[in-house]
Amino acid sequence: MNTPSFGLDDFLPVLPAAILTAGAILLLVSEVFLGSATRTYQALLAVVTSVAAGALAFSNAFLPAHAVLQGYAVLDPFSSFTTVVVCLGTGLGALLGAGFLKHRNAERGEFYALLLFAAAGMSLLAMSAEFITLFVNLEVLSVSTYALTAYLRRGPRPSEAGFKYFILGAFAAALLLYGAALLYGATGTTHLSEMAAGLGAAAKAQPALVACGFFLVGAGFAFKVAAVPFHMWTPDVYEGAPTPVTAVMSAGVKAAAFVALVRVFLFLGPVFDPEVVFVIFSALAAATMVVGNLLAIPQRNVKRMLAYSSVAHAGYLLSGVAALFAPATVAPKSGVLSASATWGADSALRGEALKGLLFYLLAYTVTSLGSFGVVGALERREDETKGNAWDLDRFSGLAQRRPFQAAAMAVFLLSLGGIPPTVGFMAKLLVFRAAVDAGLVGLAVLGVLSSAAGVYYYLRVVVYMYMRPAVEGMQTPERQWTTEFALAASALAVVGLGLLPGSVSDWLSRAGLIFGQ
Amino acid sequence: MIATSNYLILAAVLFCMGMLGVLIRRNALVVFMCIELMLNAANLTFLAFARERGDATGHISAFFIIAVAAAEAAVGLAIVISVFRARGTVNIEEIQTMKH
Repeated sequence: MNTPSFGLDDFLPVLPAAILTAGAILLLVSEVFLGSATRTYQALLAVVTSVAAGALAFSNAFLPAHAVLQGYAVLDPFSSFTTVVVCLGTGLGALLGAGFLKHRNAERGEFYALLLFAAAGMSLLAMSAEFITLFVNLEVLSVSTYALTAYLRRGPRPSEAGFKYFILGAFAAALLLYGAALLYGATGTTHLSEMAAGLGAAAKAQPALVACGFFLVGAGFAFKVAAVPFHMWTPDVYEGAPTPVTAVMSAGVKAAAFVALVRVFLFLGPVFDPEVVFVIFSALAAATMVVGNLLAIPQRNVKRMLAYSSVAHAGYLLSGVAALFAPATVAPKSGVLSASATWGADSALRGEALKGLLFYLLAYTVTSLGSFGVVGALERREDETKGNAWDLDRFSGLAQRRPFQAAAMAVFLLSLGGIPPTVGFMAKLLVFRAAVDAGLVGLAVLGVLSSAAGVYYYLRVVVYMYMRPAVEGMQTPERQWTTEFALAASALAVVGLGLLPGSVSDWLSRAGLIFGQ
Repeated sequence: MIATSNYLILAAVLFCMGMLGVLIRRNALVVFMCIELMLNAANLTFLAFARERGDATGHISAFFIIAVAAAEAAVGLAIVISVFRARGTVNIEEIQTMKH
């Protein structure tokens, strides 16, 4: 047995996750030793921790892509930028959580600690290059999120949402794990790069075993990113979870799961059969976009509408993933289980697709956190057990009652609908342009058409806010500076990145320098 | 010596039983047990392949999976208890307050 040796280089990439974990432990300890009445400092500590981790991850993104910790993890700009996005989401989520929990007298250190643990899991998940590492980190983030979903124990909703999320999340994890076990059996390794090397021969020897493993892994990921037909849990869980947690779930958890999915399939997809992978991702993308938008249209419950809209957005992202495996991106020499496909000279196309994906994740993070943040800011504790807490009527006349929140919500909704000059427009432009460049014109057209349908239900909320009189006796919780700050920051980011995407998209161009390709 | 394929078939049967149980059974605790069954089927598969290949990776994987499953069970059972406290039942069909 050779003794493993680790240098400082091995630990630099995981340092952001270590900072997040240390912050979480500090918060847990502070809950025991600093029992002061106001706990806003905990939210601020969580924000400081995520900013520190995010800044470090940002500097890591300019290092060359390489394997670390004996190949169990990789450091590349793709994973580092994901960590930046995750830290941004966590910081904003903590600020939104502060006001939300204060209104409910439920502000405790555990909440922020769980948020930071989940963020550490997301950061490491984005770097994992080995199936067991990937599974453990997926579970770190999932278990923290299950607990966060059921965090408010009053009332039946949060526990119900937590229960559903737990059952389906654990089910998805089990599918993924069994798939990984079958792939391990076929190739004798759990490292993605070694697996990719051995998979071609294994697919010839035991095609059924490899195919089963592949589809189980794919189904597990499809559950996690809420792709149709594995999206059933999304509306119930998103509606029942505390609103700041929903915001983090829709942004951070989805981003990390998408990045892990892209990494696994970039390694294994071309070796297995790029055609099959391409067809599956295109079908998933088309179904997810259309179904997500159609189901969102009849919703009067704004929180549930945003949940379906997040399904639709997963569809737009999946069309970017499909572009990675389009025949134009992968060299054409491929047949069923032929294992002869290679990444051709079209790495420029792939880089564009990866950049589009990351920009979309960034855009969706700020927009979704902002929109759920406004929904959470209008929620009153007394309405928790009633069904109409998020009805459209609660938004009527918001422009007179709360001009700032109404304006911010309008900006977020325009961005979700993909209307310029917001970041949502730029993100859709990048993803659909990557799809068109890869030859997926049909998918891009479908995406544009279904997002046009989306504009209807987003603008309906704007109409209620600006053109309907307020309902008599409608009360809203008092304003919290943390919430207002998070909303202002998100709105600024949505407009700013929409008007001047240049430098950010230049940074994200490095995402194409992904390890192992 | 029992052939590896026997272990693999047993694991596949356990996995399918667990999957069907999650989809069909209505008692939250039984569903919970079925998920554990699925994880253990994956464990058994890892071990069977590891034994056949004489490779330590599969054996080590099993330990990680057991540890993760325990953490998951802790949080999962806590959630089941909070569901039971909120409504006095663990029947999945009665846990449906949110409209579609």
